[in-house]
Amino acid sequence: MRGAALVLAALVALAGCTEPPRGAAPATIVFKHAKILGPLDPIPGLLREFERRNPGVTVRSEPLTWTSDEQHQFYVINLDGATPAFDVLLLDLIWVPEFAQAGWLLDLSPWVTRGELAPHFPAAAAASVWNGRVWGLPWNMNVGVLYYRADLLAKYHLAPPRTWEELVEQAQRIRAGERDPKLDGVLWQGKQYEGLVVNVLEHFWASGTALLDEHDRVLPEPERAAAALGFMRGLLESGVSPAWVTAGDEELTRRPFGDGRAVFLRSWPYAMDLFEAAGSPVRGRVGIAPLPGHVAGAAGVGATGGFHLAVNRRTRHAEAAVALVRFLAGAEGQRAITAAGVALYPTRVDLYRDPAAVAAHPHMPRFHALALVARPRPVTPYYLMLSTTVQPEFSAALVGVKTPAQAVSYARRRLEYMLSGLR
Amino acid sequence: MTARERADRLAGLAFVSPALLALAALTVYPGLWVLWLSLQQRVPIFGIARFVGLEHYAFLAGDARFWNAGRVTLVFTAVSVGLELALGLAVALALQRQRAGRRLALSLLLLAWALPSVVTAKLFEWLYHPSAGLVNVILGGHAFNWLGDPRLALPGLIAADVWRTMPFVALLCYARLLTIAPEVYEAARVDGAGRGATLAYVTLPLLRPILLIALLFRTLDALRAFDLMFVLTGGGPASTTETLTVYAYRSLFQTLQLGFGAAVGCVIFALVMLVAWAYLRALRGEAATA
Repeated sequence: MRGAALVLAALVALAGCTEPPRGAAPATIVFKHAKILGPLDPIPGLLREFERRNPGVTVRSEPLTWTSDEQHQFYVINLDGATPAFDVLLLDLIWVPEFAQAGWLLDLSPWVTRGELAPHFPAAAAASVWNGRVWGLPWNMNVGVLYYRADLLAKYHLAPPRTWEELVEQAQRIRAGERDPKLDGVLWQGKQYEGLVVNVLEHFWASGTALLDEHDRVLPEPERAAAALGFMRGLLESGVSPAWVTAGDEELTRRPFGDGRAVFLRSWPYAMDLFEAAGSPVRGRVGIAPLPGHVAGAAGVGATGGFHLAVNRRTRHAEAAVALVRFLAGAEGQRAITAAGVALYPTRVDLYRDPAAVAAHPHMPRFHALALVARPRPVTPYYLMLSTTVQPEFSAALVGVKTPAQAVSYARRRLEYMLSGLR
Repeated sequence: MTARERADRLAGLAFVSPALLALAALTVYPGLWVLWLSLQQRVPIFGIARFVGLEHYAFLAGDARFWNAGRVTLVFTAVSVGLELALGLAVALALQRQRAGRRLALSLLLLAWALPSVVTAKLFEWLYHPSAGLVNVILGGHAFNWLGDPRLALPGLIAADVWRTMPFVALLCYARLLTIAPEVYEAARVDGAGRGATLAYVTLPLLRPILLIALLFRTLDALRAFDLMFVLTGGGPASTTETLTVYAYRSLFQTLQLGFGAAVGCVIFALVMLVAWAYLRALRGEAATA
């Protein structure tokens, strides 16, 4: 019976038809998702449209709290308890391999062909695939970018920096010229949390190394990793970054830059909407550039973040649930998140050239090139273990409690112990 | 024992048994389950479930992060509870003398105590902001890096905890002070006791039992401190504010190493039970001498 359903579904998918079978029994599916922040929530409208197109299917949306840790905890407890209480879930892309490995997600491969992933940015699509199967579809995208004060750089005849070393030089020159003690050089996220790992990863990549290589070795080049951490520590020691960056998260660093009190900021696309909002002190004076590389390393590349849509393996309405996932991740579902007032960025490449989307967010084309080359964090089911293990070590290197070499060597030993219990 | 006594005892048992059963179902059973879990390597996402005996405890014995978390927990508990008791007592005594505005003062105290701790944490996040925060402005415009400096982060969290829970101690003490009969003070005055002597020989001895209870509650709470550090610093920088509960949470819910996380949880449990037992003994001694 189940086999027949899968064959039927595969045939439907092959035929390129995105609609579920007509005349299916009435079903109510539950969609669990993070609360959407910002003035406009696109979800209710999308669900009503989906219901209109799928007579007999009702969708109930149940928002979760917005902190990522609480969402993870909710999903883990309920999915491990094999609950059928929700069908479709919105999840942070770093959890996709973890949940897939645990057997909590419905394998979407029978419905979703690789071709259906093609319209999405490669980094976003990569995060949906684990062990050769498709476990989710990307819904929104974040990419690490460098914001700079275009007016200040122009005043000193500078082009956006291509290396971190160049950035340091520019920041020092501008601060010396401005003689404003309240103007900081570069802000980034250095608090002991996931954001710190993202920032360190970007410096690793820019130095030509990684946290986890393609052979699943952790910190394969400890010297390069230590050098990258040493550079970040140097930003604090030289005063190019203020000392409080070691406690800074996205909002704590976004605000001072938005108040005109920093030359550079490493952040995500959502910040641009706030910089360009009416009444913003930096409106019209902010530029977007790729993250810098390192002189002796590689070109800079931003890490990706974002949410994916997946189906609970215990769902009683697989057809309707998969249809909802495909609708939300499809062209229309994602167009809705490009409306003015929504601070989410889609994963479908063509929307970054879409006239209506660009009218609502004029800077969208600038993110296009950056998202195209962006890189996902290690796609592995033990990513969270990796991250929580290295967070205190990276933080210790930044605040000078350990040398970068000590921090890297301790992180390696600890990770090897942790992972040895799993492999 | 007479038949009457035996019947009374049985009836007593019958009356407490629903409560005992509920307690057993809600605490003893899960407690034993966690203990059993701590003897296993259990990582559901990898389908790993095998008995490893005391292996997790052996790892913890040599785990620098664990010992650091233990040290942070003890320092946080000792300093914050000590300050809360001292300040709470002082505030209660001040309230007792205060004539005007007592109602307002009580409401303000209650407000700090009634705020959800995550709200308190968010409040302090901005109070401690290095450039825009009120704390640094009051301190004369210094750019103290409260939450990002390994030497300041724990003191910063302790101050936030004291602000939040000192009112609890103050209100308990104040309530006890209200019940002390004025005659006791009159007698002390007649005997020629000054202010200091009255405090040392009359007020404090009468407050002793309530102070011990406040100490018990606050210590047990502080040993399990979680939300302030979780929201404000995430345990950082360099894990200088990572308590045992934060460590257990990260192992259990973030990395899903159920066995390992349960082992950390069992250590916290043992620590809390030890402290509770010591206090209860002291309280019982108190009751016997009173």
